[in-house]
Amino acid sequence: MRTPESDEVPVALREPAHQVSPRAVGYWRTSEAISTAAVVVFLSGVIAATFAIGALERFRPWVLLGSGLLLVFQIAELIWMPQIRFRIHRWEITPTAIHTRSGWLGREERIAPLSRVQTVDSAQGILMRQFRLATITVTTASAAGPIEIACLDEETARRTVADLTEYVGRATGDAT
Amino acid sequence: MSDARGRISPPETPDRDQPLEPLEPHHRTAPSDTEQQTAPQSETEPAERPWRRLDSRMLLIGPVRSLKELALPAVVAVIGLSASNSYEATWVIPALVGLLALGLIPWFTTSYRTTGTQFELRQGLINKEHLTAPLDRIRSVDLESSVLLRLLRLTKVQIGTGVDATRITLNAISNADAIELRRRLLARAGPPIAPPTTESITGPITGPTTGRPGIEEDWFESRSEAVPLAVIDWSWLRFAPFSLARLVVVGGLFGALSQLGNDLPLMDVLDAEWRRMSAMAVPVIVAVTLLGALTGWVLLSMGGYVVQWWNLRLVRADGAIRLIAGLLTTRSTTVEEDRIRGVEVSEPVLLRVVGGAELAALATGVGSGGKVSILPPCPQSVALDVGERILDLRDPDESRPLSAPLAPHGAAARRRSYLRAQVVSALWLVAATVLVWTTALPWWPAAVVLLVLVGGGLGAGHSAYRNLGHLLTPEHLVSGSGIVERRRTALEVDGVIGWVIRQSWFQRRAGLATLVATTAAGSEQVAIRDLPLATAIALARRATPGALAPFLATVPAPAAVA
Repeated sequence: MRTPESDEVPVALREPAHQVSPRAVGYWRTSEAISTAAVVVFLSGVIAATFAIGALERFRPWVLLGSGLLLVFQIAELIWMPQIRFRIHRWEITPTAIHTRSGWLGREERIAPLSRVQTVDSAQGILMRQFRLATITVTTASAAGPIEIACLDEETARRTVADLTEYVGRATGDAT
Repeated sequence: MSDARGRISPPETPDRDQPLEPLEPHHRTAPSDTEQQTAPQSETEPAERPWRRLDSRMLLIGPVRSLKELALPAVVAVIGLSASNSYEATWVIPALVGLLALGLIPWFTTSYRTTGTQFELRQGLINKEHLTAPLDRIRSVDLESSVLLRLLRLTKVQIGTGVDATRITLNAISNADAIELRRRLLARAGPPIAPPTTESITGPITGPTTGRPGIEEDWFESRSEAVPLAVIDWSWLRFAPFSLARLVVVGGLFGALSQLGNDLPLMDVLDAEWRRMSAMAVPVIVAVTLLGALTGWVLLSMGGYVVQWWNLRLVRADGAIRLIAGLLTTRSTTVEEDRIRGVEVSEPVLLRVVGGAELAALATGVGSGGKVSILPPCPQSVALDVGERILDLRDPDESRPLSAPLAPHGAAARRRSYLRAQVVSALWLVAATVLVWTTALPWWPAAVVLLVLVGGGLGAGHSAYRNLGHLLTPEHLVSGSGIVERRRTALEVDGVIGWVIRQSWFQRRAGLATLVATTAAGSEQVAIRDLPLATAIALARRATPGALAPFLATVPAPAAVA
């Protein structure tokens, strides 16, 4: 039960047991490369505009500075993000609860008891399919509470959905 | 079956009709005949209830509604066509008749019924829709009568189910049917079903108060299970001008009017008038305008307050909280108490200065963001008191989730509050630097703005940290938040359906985290910002020991698993 002194006991969450599929690194890198390419195209357009339109010329140094910063950030993200993200993303499902950790600069841990789970979805984008990955989304009655396990191996995802469905099926009540 | 029995228990049924005939008290004691006319089905087996239509008076309302909705385009069309002076004008009349006929369609196509276990609604002419809601998923039933409906003694019924987005609306059935329907829909909630009490739905439009006080007393005193929680106190009217929520509405109205005004020749006259006047002393004009605006605002806000909260009564009855209010449009909101997961007391900055507060309940399945406004701007002590009574604490003397002091979040959180409040001034610094560098603008106005922003930021940071805090009582998780507006949200621990522990990069460096309790009620999450990480985890664990137990690194006591 809740006791006053339990507040003083230092508690920490341990890491969720499983990592996502190692192929996720490739997937993240590819999608990051695509978005970097899009940013480059956009920025070159803006920079070209400062050369083409006379009225914009005095903003050129600032535009160059801003574009440079953005590009550096994008490239840094392209280089480091996939590995960092792979280290941080972890997940675990017990017969009673689900726990995930995600993020790369920030960090987000989500925990929900399975008795409160309402739906279990799995989805696979077109790029994800190339990497044979799938994402599982577990929703609760709260719009703020969907729990996503991104980039699982297809086979693992299928098994996990089956497990989850079984655990959730055991729970009763209307989960609000 | 047992609830069907409770439903028709003789000493209670007559009361249901009493609201319809408020001035005839004998109706309550005599066996009701109206009952049998309006709802004879209640005597039969629930499963055999026939399909029912909307009230036939809808045939009057429907055309009026469609006329109202189409009034503007219709007028435009008529004016346009008559100006063009062509034969096309002859189309207008049949078109109007067609539109009026459109308004009749809902009555012909809508029917509903309740069976023993569910509520069913069929509607639609072309796209037929058959809606089924299990009775045990129904969380709230709202009755609302606009002036037009009240004249005809009709009521609009809105039924809230688990999912906020889909509220079932029955547009206009008779008052008696509405009350009966609500009773039936919420019946399975509590064991003994006391008849509902919503006399406010009826009542002549000319004098909504006539006969009211009598009913009110009678209602409160005669029924032991209906516990009054709050009644409007007109001294609260003093808070109306300090609540700016209504200002948005007024502003919108003003904007619409001015847009309309642009098209009228009136504007030119005013313009000429204005030029003549501005030749006079400017200070006088400014003062008069300010005074006028202020007076207008006071009158408007007070008027709005009276119209919205007229005859407000908040009661607890039949395992539900019921709010009844309104001068022109009467609303009666009933939310099952089991569905109320917490309350939120908010003190917007102006209201706080004069010691006022507002109260809302966090509930599931009530629509409109899951928050039900429960009290108008009123003294803070009243909001706290009523709020704690709605929470229905097991031990009201021991735990006071709304009035007990909150635990502060410490020095790191304070630093972050101050820093966060300076984001605007930092952005301004960058923008102003670019601007002054690239243009010939003088630098000092930008510097003055910067000073003001920094000063304001200091104030905001100070206030934000003071409002920040958390508390865990045996039954509730309490979060204090807000920058200039102070908010305190108390959420039932049983209503927590998950946790999110979120750390931005900056928070990680400061060892802080934002703890979010997700819930189905209210805005679906209660966030506690900038807690030290260990405190956040400990708090979540104390609130819901079971959920976190499998994932704890150190399992301190076996009790934690219980």
